[in-house]
Amino acid sequence: MKKILIAGEGGQGAQSVAEILARAANEQGKETTYIPNFGVEQRGGVSLAFLQIDDKPIGYPKFDQADIVVAMCNRAIEQIKKFINDNTLLIYDSSFIDDDKIKTLRPLVKKYLNLPAKAIAQKGLSLKVANIIFLGALSHELGDLTAGEIRIAMNNQFKSHPEFQELNEEAFDEGLKYAKERPDQEFIGSKPSEIQKIFEDDVKSWERFPEYCKGCGLCIISCPQKAITFSDDLNFLGTNLPEVDLKKCLACEACQKICPDGAIKITKKSS
Amino acid sequence: MNNLPKSWKKETLPHKFCPGCGQALALKILGYAIDELGIQNQAVYGTDIGCSLLSWNMFDVDTIQTHHGRATPTMVGFKHAKPEAVAIAFMGDGGGYAIGAQHLINACLRDDKITVILINNANYAMTGGQTAPTTLIDEITTTAPAGRKIEDFGRPIHGPEMLKTIAADGAYIARCASNDFEETLKYIKKALQNQIDGRGFSFVEVLSMCPVNWKKNAQGSLDFIEEMKKVYPLGEIKVPEETK
Repeated sequence: MKKILIAGEGGQGAQSVAEILARAANEQGKETTYIPNFGVEQRGGVSLAFLQIDDKPIGYPKFDQADIVVAMCNRAIEQIKKFINDNTLLIYDSSFIDDDKIKTLRPLVKKYLNLPAKAIAQKGLSLKVANIIFLGALSHELGDLTAGEIRIAMNNQFKSHPEFQELNEEAFDEGLKYAKERPDQEFIGSKPSEIQKIFEDDVKSWERFPEYCKGCGLCIISCPQKAITFSDDLNFLGTNLPEVDLKKCLACEACQKICPDGAIKITKKSS
Repeated sequence: MNNLPKSWKKETLPHKFCPGCGQALALKILGYAIDELGIQNQAVYGTDIGCSLLSWNMFDVDTIQTHHGRATPTMVGFKHAKPEAVAIAFMGDGGGYAIGAQHLINACLRDDKITVILINNANYAMTGGQTAPTTLIDEITTTAPAGRKIEDFGRPIHGPEMLKTIAADGAYIARCASNDFEETLKYIKKALQNQIDGRGFSFVEVLSMCPVNWKKNAQGSLDFIEEMKKVYPLGEIKVPEETK
């Protein structure tokens, strides 16, 4: 009997991971239930996936104590607290969840795996497959299911996009490898204060707000000078933040006007 | 601090709209319009069902959330009870043109002194991108996988043009696109001013990006807005005589 809770921002792929595992378990003749839980938003907002795999029939698809909890984002931390007991294994993204947030869980957590999924995904892969790295790590922790069967279910799930198969396989292997080796075992998260927020020179400042930015890219397109590009820094949803080349920027405010989230502020300095 | 509209509630940020949503952009512009007209304490904001309800805690103004196009009659009632209020009904194309079309048409017919802002994103966005009255011909949606066909769904609705035929002399009707900041701000301010001056019904349709349900990136969504502009021409469709 395994009870697994996967929590992430809507759009990060928590539900896809749960669905792949549920299908893989079902293919092997296991009793399986999977039920998603999220708000009315199409993207964003905490999205929970309740997954149970058992040899005996399962009475109810939800549960209040989990064997494995996966935390993919900051806003999930509050919601997963009540599912953790002494035997729960916590798998969390140590490259994305803030240090002070994850430390609040320390008294509850006895077993954990700090998987820097976003950092692994950014190194040579794509941010889009960060959830598949979690899937790889989960496949190591789930003794009853073999990695090969989960891999087949994964490729079935995304068969309408064959161009991503290779990328998914690589991400899966990275997650599996990390979970096997467990190289880094300190219970820490990332330090968000390292993100540069203000870009400025003598005449203007260009400020970005990682707590508001959703990484839509409208600022990049609307810039007449092509001064804005995506950087490697991440916003609160775990997608890329924009950055500006001040040499090209004219402070025309086109990016500030088009930003639906109010995540850019331009200030002209009077000489 | 950030440069967001003063009428937005800072505590509720980040808001719940998707990345690249044009509706959030329209709401930001509405926030600036409320700021510039200085009506934050007079304004009352009625939001409808669909993605527009995600803005239920967005403004630091009195807010009512209703269902199925009834943001319009609720605001009409509010305006009758408190004529000095500035009543703003905000809804999507599903609420305004489909299930709640009767309310919109009758409010226009009675020339109620309220402002209606309607988001046209060519689908039902919150439920996952089904065909709406505003969906373009041959546009692919989840309920029209081969594209919208006239024989199945009829022709796309032209709301402002339809309302123009029944509007009274004092009505103000316009259409704009949310990625054009200046024009949208101008039209929304004019629509609110039309109500404040007591001239008549005012209506603004805002063409708006929906990258998630259109399955497009930021550039693709702006390109699709250009496609929409060919079907839904922008501009002021009806302006009261005295303000011309």
